[in-house]
Amino acid sequence: MLRAVLATEFMKLRRCKVTWATLIGLSMGPLGIALFMWILREPGRAADLGLLGTKANLSGLEATWPAYAAMLTLIVGIGGMLVLSFIVAYVFGREYDDGTAKNLLALPVSRHWFVIAKLVVAGVWWAVLVVIVLLEALAVGVALGLPGFSASLVLGALQNALLAAGISYLLVPPVAWVTVWARSGVAPIGFAIAMLALGNLFGKTGWAEWFPWSIVPLLIGMVGTPQTLPAGSYIVLAMTFLVGIAATIAQLRFADNAQ
Amino acid sequence: MTAVTIISTRALSKRYGDVTAVDGLDLDVRRGEIYGFLGRNGAGKTTTIRMLLGLIRPTSGEVSVLGHRIGPSETGVFSRVGFLVETATAYPNLTVRENLDIQRRLTGSPRAAVSESIERLGLGAYADRRAGRLSLGNKQRLSLARALLHAPDVLVLDEPANALDPAGIVEVRALLRSLVTERGVTVFMSSHILAEVAHLADRIGIVHEGRLIEESSRDQFAEKARAFSAEALTEHERADALLTMDLERYFLARTGGA
Repeated sequence: MLRAVLATEFMKLRRCKVTWATLIGLSMGPLGIALFMWILREPGRAADLGLLGTKANLSGLEATWPAYAAMLTLIVGIGGMLVLSFIVAYVFGREYDDGTAKNLLALPVSRHWFVIAKLVVAGVWWAVLVVIVLLEALAVGVALGLPGFSASLVLGALQNALLAAGISYLLVPPVAWVTVWARSGVAPIGFAIAMLALGNLFGKTGWAEWFPWSIVPLLIGMVGTPQTLPAGSYIVLAMTFLVGIAATIAQLRFADNAQ
Repeated sequence: MTAVTIISTRALSKRYGDVTAVDGLDLDVRRGEIYGFLGRNGAGKTTTIRMLLGLIRPTSGEVSVLGHRIGPSETGVFSRVGFLVETATAYPNLTVRENLDIQRRLTGSPRAAVSESIERLGLGAYADRRAGRLSLGNKQRLSLARALLHAPDVLVLDEPANALDPAGIVEVRALLRSLVTERGVTVFMSSHILAEVAHLADRIGIVHEGRLIEESSRDQFAEKARAFSAEALTEHERADALLTMDLERYFLARTGGA
């Protein structure tokens, strides 16, 4: 049954503008970093840009591959958490926004298959986006001709970006739950932004390793210095993932679907 | 021989806080009949239909369809149930054919079922048009095509004539009647329009403020309606009613309807 449900979930993406919107949104990241690097390298010309140039100079960064790689991880980690939340909100929320949820929930298909299939679709969508954006970032980095390139540096940055992308995926079931609970694709976006803000807040406390939404900022050095995650963080992430899935399935099975 | 009950509810109630949407509803719909569930807006028709389909949970009471008690774990019975709930909806970015293909895959129906369903509902000219670009009437046809695609034994239809033009209404009436006579399909349909139910239903239940206040065969209702009309309506009001019927027939004749 999962195969049939998966096939239908992928079919729903045909002629879907949102897939392109997420690709354009995330692929702006490397271009934005490239602009930042250019400003750092060309301070004279950047002065014409006013505040943007001032901010770039104040950041203390240099236009080098290590700086570029660090910012890329930040974009994939933090920007990615938002884009991925948007994807999940869309995949689940469109059934309510299009009024099609009622058509799915009285079929000879257990409702958990829809949850699993939608999470798989979101995961594949996310994986494709991340791969495209990382390839784009590599190409842009090479085109910029930044100093300080080394294969180990780039591989390390890619590894960190992929880890951040993977961890971001583990945080999506709660977003799915909020979507089916609110029966809308709007509420989960608010939830994701709030969690990101809370993650940043908790990241500045001693609890950063234990709050799911602080773990990506912690990993990529958005709060404090980048660090290896303790095993407890992975347990917290796994629990968030599993509890989120269970809550989403329970919401669909036991709550009223009076859309 | 006793008639087999296909849909039954016992003391079915649904409350939302202080509001009682459905109140102690007892229904029995027999195999091969068309049951018209008639009520004004907000009478509890759609809430009842949602409970029949397991979309919302009763506050108390029971629902069973084809002998299966409807609850959170019940899914198997829905391979034999086609339905249309409230407004017609579809994935707007997918074509008519693609929308039906989703239903086909999820119900395990053969590939040919999509084309057959398109033909049956007269959607041939729109098969490759995106659902988001269909008129309301054709969206309703698409929803009916989806409901019929897997050749269900039971149809649960909430206002099936919504948005259809008079010719479309006549077509759908004929289609439902043929499904009943040829395949023994059981139809439970809600409506707030007596004329629609009167044309089609074998039995009619009137629901008001969540309670079933009257239930009779169509002929019995017709008798009551005639008696009421003779007693309570003026000559002018009766003439108006006849004029409305005549106008509808004339319009159908002019637009190629039956």
